[in-house]
Amino acid sequence: MSEKLIIANKGMVRAEFSFWVGRYMDKFYDALEKKKLIGNKCTKCGDVFVPPRKICGKCNVTIPLDENWVNLPDTGTLKNFTTTFYKVNERGTRKVKKPQIIGLVNIDKSNTAFLNKILNMEPEEVKIGMKLKIDWNEKTKGDPSDINGFVKA
Amino acid sequence: MEKVGIVGYFYVKMKPELDYGRYDLVFETVRGALDSAGLKKKDLTTVISCTNDYYDGRTISNAFCVEPGGSYLVDESKIEMDGPHAVLYALMRILSGNHKLALVWAGSTPSCFPYDSTQLYMTDPTWERPTELLNQMVSGGLQMKAYMNKYGIKVEDIAKVAVKNHKNAAKNELANPEAQLPNISINDVLKSDVMSDPVTELMYAQPCDGMAALLLAPEKQALKITENPVWIKGVGWNQETYYLGDRNLHESKAMELASKMAFKSAGITAKDVDVAELFEHFAHEELIFAEAIGFAEKGKGSKLNSEINGDLPINPSGGAIGGNAPCATGLIRMIEAVKQLQGKAQGHQVKDAKIAVASGQVGFCAQNSILYVLEKGGN
Repeated sequence: MSEKLIIANKGMVRAEFSFWVGRYMDKFYDALEKKKLIGNKCTKCGDVFVPPRKICGKCNVTIPLDENWVNLPDTGTLKNFTTTFYKVNERGTRKVKKPQIIGLVNIDKSNTAFLNKILNMEPEEVKIGMKLKIDWNEKTKGDPSDINGFVKA
Repeated sequence: MEKVGIVGYFYVKMKPELDYGRYDLVFETVRGALDSAGLKKKDLTTVISCTNDYYDGRTISNAFCVEPGGSYLVDESKIEMDGPHAVLYALMRILSGNHKLALVWAGSTPSCFPYDSTQLYMTDPTWERPTELLNQMVSGGLQMKAYMNKYGIKVEDIAKVAVKNHKNAAKNELANPEAQLPNISINDVLKSDVMSDPVTELMYAQPCDGMAALLLAPEKQALKITENPVWIKGVGWNQETYYLGDRNLHESKAMELASKMAFKSAGITAKDVDVAELFEHFAHEELIFAEAIGFAEKGKGSKLNSEINGDLPINPSGGAIGGNAPCATGLIRMIEAVKQLQGKAQGHQVKDAKIAVASGQVGFCAQNSILYVLEKGGN
């Protein structure tokens, strides 16, 4: 008798989740589609969040939906970065040919940083504290894909 | 705090791929813990399991573990964090005065699922997940760079931690065989594959299969079960905000506040600790935690002699680098701390340990940290 191991059983279930982005992110994505970056400002501590937040965790207050919006430039400072040699969305063993540089960028006039790709640079050229700007997707859709990544300012 | 004792424990030999099923694994672990205390299933009054639906490939995954997990017709709940968080729940149940024996079991089998992809499910689903840029490795790269940049730490000083933990793992028979490297050098660590710069493969706590279990009992009951229980003297836990861009990644505010709370409830200070078992996802994280707990000044973690025979041994078992079975990793730290206090750590035993700390964590860059203070009981 031959031995056979069942290693995978593809189930019949399809149950994808539709996420509601919320009213704050809705405004943010509308602006993104026009290649503009907006954030909002905490009514108490004055911290500027990008993407915007409904609640400032530090102050535990709601930032009103119709107030405290801030137009932000599409430039920023590199706070931190890493170069990864593996695919992020696959098993850790899948190496990539061209390493991907991922940076935490502090958008000018805001108090938070967000994660995105660093483009058109070799890892050796990238330095913490360097000035960067958003590389916009030619065709924007009002979602995260509108930002290709950051390039040298 | 009233005294609650750890009266039994067990964990299976960790492996990259265990050659048996999840239920067998749960059963062997739970039976192992009961046998270690000379107890039976009927003695259990409450059970807490600690697994993760994504890691188990099904929802309400504890529903399938009623029989092997010792919870058949016993009250049971599941915690979806790290093992020590489940111990917190068990501890509270014991302290409520309603229970005489609590079982905590925790673990997973990463050989059956793509660990790094499941990490992507932890990210903000609408803003971050579509960009596919963040998982545990990437967060570790950012954290290590932030730590090195802030304090001017050399990569060799961090590689030294990986060397220590891999060597210690070689002395711990239950560590992951792939992590047991008795002859490893700093150069080996630096030359291993770069995962997310500056983190290399040998600085990363590679996920492996494993399962662990712990038994808790109130003081009176504990002393009936064993002559040398280990007492939970204090515990603290805390968490930071989710977004990495909001945090100072060169430090662990969560661990700082957790340890403050733990030491306060135990009535001790960091100076009283004889041995530490810390869940470090990466070599550098052990240094960040050591500084947050107060074993060293900020930026001076690498100056501490944390070898088995050092000033303050950290991770004599090899730590998470010696074997990282998600959900069980923190619980194994607790078990290893208990072994140290009972003098049962064999090849990796430290000298005369009376007070130990053990930690667990969840989230990117240890968003949430939990720390226990454990005290040797009996003779």
